[in-house]
Amino acid sequence: MQTETRNENLIFKIPKSLKEGTKFPFCPGCDHGVAVRLVAEILDEFNLREKTIAVSSIGCSVMLYDWVNTDCVEAPHGRALAAATGVKRTNTDKCVFTYQGDGDFASIGLAESMHAALRGENITAICINNTTYGMTGGQAGPTTIMGQVTTTSPTGRNKEYYGYPIKIAEQIALCEGTAFAARGSLDTVLNIRKTKELIKKAFEVQLQGLGFGFVEILSSCPTNWRMTPQESHERIRKELFSVYPLGVYKE
Amino acid sequence: MTKKLTKGNYAIAQAAINAGCDGYFGYPVTPQNEIGEYMSKKMPKLKRAYISAESEIGAINMVLGACSTGKKAMTSSSSMAIALMQEALCYIAADELPAVLVSVMRAGPALGYIYPAQGDYNQAVTGGGNGDYRIIVLAPSTVQECIDLTYKSFYLAQKYRNPVTLLADGLLGQMMEPVEFKDYPYPEIPNDDWALTGAKNREPRAIYSLEAKEEVLEKRVNLLFEKYKVIEENEQDFEEYLTQDAELIVTCFGSLARNVKSAVNECRKQGLKVGMLRPITLYPFPVYKIQELAKKTKKILVIEMNMGQMVRDVQLAVNGKVPVKFFGKAVGKWIEVETICEKIKKEIGNG
Amino acid sequence: MTESSVIIAGFGGQGILLAGEVLANALMLDGKDVTWYPCYGAEMRGGTVNCEVVASDDEVSSVNKKEADFIIALNQLSFEKFLPKLKKGGWIIANSSLVKELRSRIDVNYFFAPITHLANELGEIRISNIISLGILSKIGKLTSIETLHKALDMVLPEHKKNLLPLNLEALETGFNLQPVPVTVG
Repeated sequence: MQTETRNENLIFKIPKSLKEGTKFPFCPGCDHGVAVRLVAEILDEFNLREKTIAVSSIGCSVMLYDWVNTDCVEAPHGRALAAATGVKRTNTDKCVFTYQGDGDFASIGLAESMHAALRGENITAICINNTTYGMTGGQAGPTTIMGQVTTTSPTGRNKEYYGYPIKIAEQIALCEGTAFAARGSLDTVLNIRKTKELIKKAFEVQLQGLGFGFVEILSSCPTNWRMTPQESHERIRKELFSVYPLGVYKE
Repeated sequence: MTKKLTKGNYAIAQAAINAGCDGYFGYPVTPQNEIGEYMSKKMPKLKRAYISAESEIGAINMVLGACSTGKKAMTSSSSMAIALMQEALCYIAADELPAVLVSVMRAGPALGYIYPAQGDYNQAVTGGGNGDYRIIVLAPSTVQECIDLTYKSFYLAQKYRNPVTLLADGLLGQMMEPVEFKDYPYPEIPNDDWALTGAKNREPRAIYSLEAKEEVLEKRVNLLFEKYKVIEENEQDFEEYLTQDAELIVTCFGSLARNVKSAVNECRKQGLKVGMLRPITLYPFPVYKIQELAKKTKKILVIEMNMGQMVRDVQLAVNGKVPVKFFGKAVGKWIEVETICEKIKKEIGNG
Repeated sequence: MTESSVIIAGFGGQGILLAGEVLANALMLDGKDVTWYPCYGAEMRGGTVNCEVVASDDEVSSVNKKEADFIIALNQLSFEKFLPKLKKGGWIIANSSLVKELRSRIDVNYFFAPITHLANELGEIRISNIISLGILSKIGKLTSIETLHKALDMVLPEHKKNLLPLNLEALETGFNLQPVPVTVG
């Protein structure tokens, strides 16, 4: 029997801020696609699509412009928030957001990220933390936790060789220009909903001109973690929540 | 119009403002700090963007961002700090964004010192980024030209959607000369077919350099080089002085030309047939003019405040038609008129 | 083509760069092509500050010359540093309040004057730079003190225009000084 799909009956639709027919190239079980979708849903909710300029980064999210249905400029590795600053300061009426990984945001781009926060740029920054350099094949990164085995920490991260991981949301919360800083996770439906609320607030502060809006999102990387998607989410709960507690750090 | 005694760095800054620069992003380095200082006073009053960036890397990437939206943006810096900007400059070239970079050379290599020098010819002209790309480079020789060529930098950047470097030096940046500030003389170039302004009533636009498909990447690079060919055909610029009957032509660039011109005048008084050619566009290099002169003259002497950088471009253009000699030094007092006269006499004497 | 170059040097705070700017503006008002080139950056810290002004009826031939026609040295260090750079037959104006009256070169002309002392007498120690320009106007004949005064009006910011009469007095003080007869030192 054929049923007509009526708008009021729709329980799932692709946000307008995602390009039609978008096929994410992410590995099975990776949370990136969920995060991009959440950002797109918020852009829809605030009706921002037509006034948004996105800034993409280098890493798994490099092709952001292929998925989000807004204007987008690619920044060199780590420099998304510098490029976004240039966009926003010369276009104060536009909505500007960056979408970066933890390596891009907090290792090579730490200066650019933190100074954007210190300047209180009216920009929303989303940082996906999967505790590794995903695109290049799972090397140790700034957020790799103690003991974690990666392709460049074959015996696990130890303080002698690698020092300690950075707690990004906490650091960004310390910046006076930060209006909102939080950490979410995408491991359960509940956490996805909560994270969406965090992203919403990070855009709200931009729209209100209050300053830097930041959300760090814990994300799975099944391929490089050598785990199934289920095991990956289990790892987030078991190993990452204690190092990177979820919550709002500044608002 | 009355002339005003103006410092080179201030002249560049005011000219950028006159050219309609929407955003200045910079980080301090001597000897070009006056540009950022001036901008920090003027830009906020004009409700334009000014940022003291966290680094040169930050600054040039802010320029990238601003330019991607069709706004006129610039940064200024020097030598080893320009070296830090090479990655983003390469992106800007690949993305075809109209950025303006002011490079006020100090003496290198590395930290060297703040003395004026011309050792960053190669850095500006051949660049330090990866892959095949070109940046237009203009070299002023007087404070007045600092103004005129800043205007031209903004114009060419818009016209070709290509980064332009204004290559000055510490002497030019720091000295004062009487100048005239005429209005920005160039037309505005429409950018509504490419600039990121929000995807309203049109498809979204993306500006990026990543290209995973081999054949598409190749096509993109070929398109860039078709543009460079047009630039090379249309934009070669130079100053020619007493070259008509010259048996020796001294070639130099930037503020050293003042000394060379004086030496040419001195030698002319003594009956020596000598002239000067000063490339104003270092890229595109004025090869046609040099090829033409190489047919008439007997020898070319290249003089630079470096150990021999532009001389290679001269040699390529001359292509063995006449001997090309070089004289230069890396740092110190600008090569004096007397010394240049001696070199001219020696080269003419050697036949 | 007549071309003249002047080096002005002294301590930071003695108004060296300003004096050069005033001189350069005056020469510009006289219709000359002119350049002003300062020492800059770390060179200025602690030691001497200096600038070079070149004026020409034609185009200035070079900005930073091997030798100068005139040198103004307001402290001992500048006197020692720049005396070797004075052209044969050129003039050095030295502030004898701070410079020892030694004439180590016999091929140049000296004008020693207690410039700091004179500035104190005018009630403003910081005006020694302008007094020295008055002296230069007299012996160098590059430009008149009237033109220098006009140039001062151009260079001084609005909130310092009230100092113009004092500056004119300083120019006159310098201009009216008589050179001390040369004695073999």
